[in-house]
Amino acid sequence: MLFADFYREMRFLSKQRYIVLFLSAVFALSAFAVWSGLHETKLQQATIERLLEKDSVDRENVLAGQGDYGSAAYYSFHVTYSEPSSLAFAAMGQRDTFPWKHRIRMLALEGQIYETDAENPELSLFGRFDFAFIVSVLLPIFVILLLHDLRSGEKEAGRYDLLVASAKKQHKLWLSRALVITTGLALAMLVPLLVGAAITQAPLAKTVAMVLITLAHLLFWVVVTVIAGRMMLARGQNSPRIASALLGVWLLATVIVPVVSDTLINQSITGPNGGEVVLTQREAVNGAWDQPYSVTWDEFLKTHPEWADYTDMESSFDWKWYYGFQQAGDQHAAELSKAYRDTIVRKDVAAGKASLMSPAMLTQRLMSSLASTDISASLAYEQDVRDFHASLRQFYYPLLFKGGEFELEQLADMPLYQQRLSN
Amino acid sequence: MSEPVVVAESLNVRFADQCVLDDVGFTVNRGEVFALLGGNGAGKSTTLKTFLGTVAPTSGSASVLGHSVTSDSDFIRSKVAYLPESVMLYGHLTGMENIEYFLSLADVKRSASDIEAALKRVALQADTWHKKLADYSKGMRQKTAIALALLRSAPVLFLDEPTSGLDPSAIDEFNQLVTALSEAGSTVFMVTHDVYGACQVAHRIGLLDQGKIVGVFERNGNELIDTEQVHTAFAKRNA
Repeated sequence: MLFADFYREMRFLSKQRYIVLFLSAVFALSAFAVWSGLHETKLQQATIERLLEKDSVDRENVLAGQGDYGSAAYYSFHVTYSEPSSLAFAAMGQRDTFPWKHRIRMLALEGQIYETDAENPELSLFGRFDFAFIVSVLLPIFVILLLHDLRSGEKEAGRYDLLVASAKKQHKLWLSRALVITTGLALAMLVPLLVGAAITQAPLAKTVAMVLITLAHLLFWVVVTVIAGRMMLARGQNSPRIASALLGVWLLATVIVPVVSDTLINQSITGPNGGEVVLTQREAVNGAWDQPYSVTWDEFLKTHPEWADYTDMESSFDWKWYYGFQQAGDQHAAELSKAYRDTIVRKDVAAGKASLMSPAMLTQRLMSSLASTDISASLAYEQDVRDFHASLRQFYYPLLFKGGEFELEQLADMPLYQQRLSN
Repeated sequence: MSEPVVVAESLNVRFADQCVLDDVGFTVNRGEVFALLGGNGAGKSTTLKTFLGTVAPTSGSASVLGHSVTSDSDFIRSKVAYLPESVMLYGHLTGMENIEYFLSLADVKRSASDIEAALKRVALQADTWHKKLADYSKGMRQKTAIALALLRSAPVLFLDEPTSGLDPSAIDEFNQLVTALSEAGSTVFMVTHDVYGACQVAHRIGLLDQGKIVGVFERNGNELIDTEQVHTAFAKRNA
């Protein structure tokens, strides 16, 4: 029976030109957002492929021209990267603000990690126009515009009494009409997403989860809009007033709560920033040139006591000492660096709690999490880089400390970066 | 004409501090045409909306075919056809499409030939049936709504200022239609401020003033209700 009502309203609404145009516009926006996300992830993948292509060739050329292991480590770069997941096109999340590629050397690491260019500083403020943005920010407006006058519009047009008197079951009329509009809106938004997911061959379970998040947010606003519309109409409010009140709720939930919570989180959870970490490490490394060798060795041997018998130097400059104070520089900044990362995690946890008050925030966070573009994914990539850098040190230290003739073949087993994060 | 169909008993409706209906009581029997007559703000539309279920009574009761408007509105809607004063159907649909939509809403199935017959009966010109309602005059919209009410084949008709906007010949045709429906057993409850029209068609007239029934007029045998008598009472109340 509900299907008959649904079919009747679908036929009826399909003849209303403004609804068809509206849904077409939503489809176009969603398709553009998906295309833009696919384009961006393709660019990032192309950049990674280009870097990887040149990475091994470049390193081979550099290594061929070196005469000792210290120079080999100094002049050879290693590309590290976090490839976009198959759903990153839908929610670029933190990939716009956190770095997703580095060229790493065996020098002190902290500076190399945090001294990066912010590629899209403006995006950290406004957010990218991706699918997640459409669903979390624009979708409520679409719902409000289409459904705020579900009943009041008919009242103002003078048809309400006739409709109510004619409908066999009054609630079925409004329910089926709201359901048709909601279905149209869901299809207009989700079809481009599903096409995008098919192109990137995204895992089915994650794609379904992305669809369910979209539907949950859509249903939340449909319920809010329909109930508020009904209650306000019963209190004699007209369509413009109902729309204004709902837009106020949207402003509160989508803009004010996130901005206020962000401000409060930044004020209540404080910690060092990336620049301080870089500066601390750099001062420690630069200062090492002016300090007695023993200062470097004492610090270095705290974490690498196995090399205590190999600190003798044949000249005033020795690569093992050079890399020793690079290591010491990282150790000097380690606490600050950890505090920096802990602060990010604590802020993220607090933002997660705050998102329970803002459906838009919650939607965006869930989508970023599914697309592996959230803070956790960024920190996981950073940890990958740290682990890779540690493996480089583990590889080079025996060659540097034990001495011996430089043999290119010895470098054949040099570790290569591999992304661990799964799609 | 003794089976009560539309009944109001001690009906009171208040909006905030304003008393809109004050202890209203009347009974409309099967096959009867009852007109509730009154000036602007007398409470006619509120009475009608109470029976349609869009205005809740503050106290008292209103029922149709023995079913309360407050607890059995779905049943009442299935038995009632409503003709609003200002017929605002959907402008983006044709006359035929509007009728099909509203019949489907009421879950009433009628063939295309049934719809055409109803449109002919209300004298709506055939070349306008497939035109968008936005292009219809007020009278044409009214005729479309009357055709819709006929097609509902409902035993009870609620009419709100039914002849408003119709030309004199259409009013005559409409009155004949109402009489025919009444003779066929339909019960008609109409609200109007048209004294002459009410007297032409109604078996009884209730005069409503400031939310109260202040007078009831009825036919004497087959004689129509005396227009002058009703008009005098009406004019006195609205002076």
